[in-house]
Amino acid sequence: MFELLEEAGFARVKSAIVPGFRFRHQSTQNSAEAYGVKAVLFTAEKPE
Amino acid sequence: MTESTVRSVADEQEALEATLKDEILRMYEEVAEQPDGDFHFYHGRAAAELFGYSTALLDKAPESAVASFAGVGNPHERSYLKSGMTVLDLGSGAGLDGIISAWSVGPTGSVIGVDMNPAMCRRANANAESSGTQLECREGRMEDIPVADDTVDVAISNGVINLSFQKRQVFRELFRVLKPGGRISITDIVSAKQLKQSIVNDPKLWAS
Repeated sequence: MFELLEEAGFARVKSAIVPGFRFRHQSTQNSAEAYGVKAVLFTAEKPE
Repeated sequence: MTESTVRSVADEQEALEATLKDEILRMYEEVAEQPDGDFHFYHGRAAAELFGYSTALLDKAPESAVASFAGVGNPHERSYLKSGMTVLDLGSGAGLDGIISAWSVGPTGSVIGVDMNPAMCRRANANAESSGTQLECREGRMEDIPVADDTVDVAISNGVINLSFQKRQVFRELFRVLKPGGRISITDIVSAKQLKQSIVNDPKLWAS
């Protein structure tokens, strides 16, 4: 998503992992971890 | 790749997108109708508290909006909303994030929600009304946001963009509707590795 935001023209793209995000069921969480699935907060600006 | 192969792949993609759309609508309606249901993700007040939503705001918000919350983080942490701003909540669901934004921008600001589910839009509008805020939910797709160019100060979104097959188009649209100097604060799910095709082709997994 980071690259897609820059490609769309956004500037000052920043990302931070959302602490505490996890799936409710352990089996889903295990699969998610295997694929590096994370929740991320993205911020960016449209240049003036 | 021959022209007929390209067409076949495009047709397959279109069919998958339609199935996915139906599955997403079904899933979010289920969350709204049965907030105590057994879903893969945390939702409702437990999820909002997990992501640091203010207890005072959750107490003040309509119970229906809180119970139907299905976000993956807290876009308000970095939205830096101010009085009088125009906010877009992309994928506004039952309206919790929109209502919190409306409290931040006050009566001189405005909040536009966009959701592809008309029933969810009605729910968001009703929840906003009962919270004494103004949220205008517009039915529409995130790939074709029903908002004029250069009109939004801040766009927020919570766990929705990952559901699109056309993320590049979604970001182009967000860029289009923002005023110059406008900002986004979005929380979403990303994957560090390419997902298996069997996962990509399973609408139930996408929607969960």
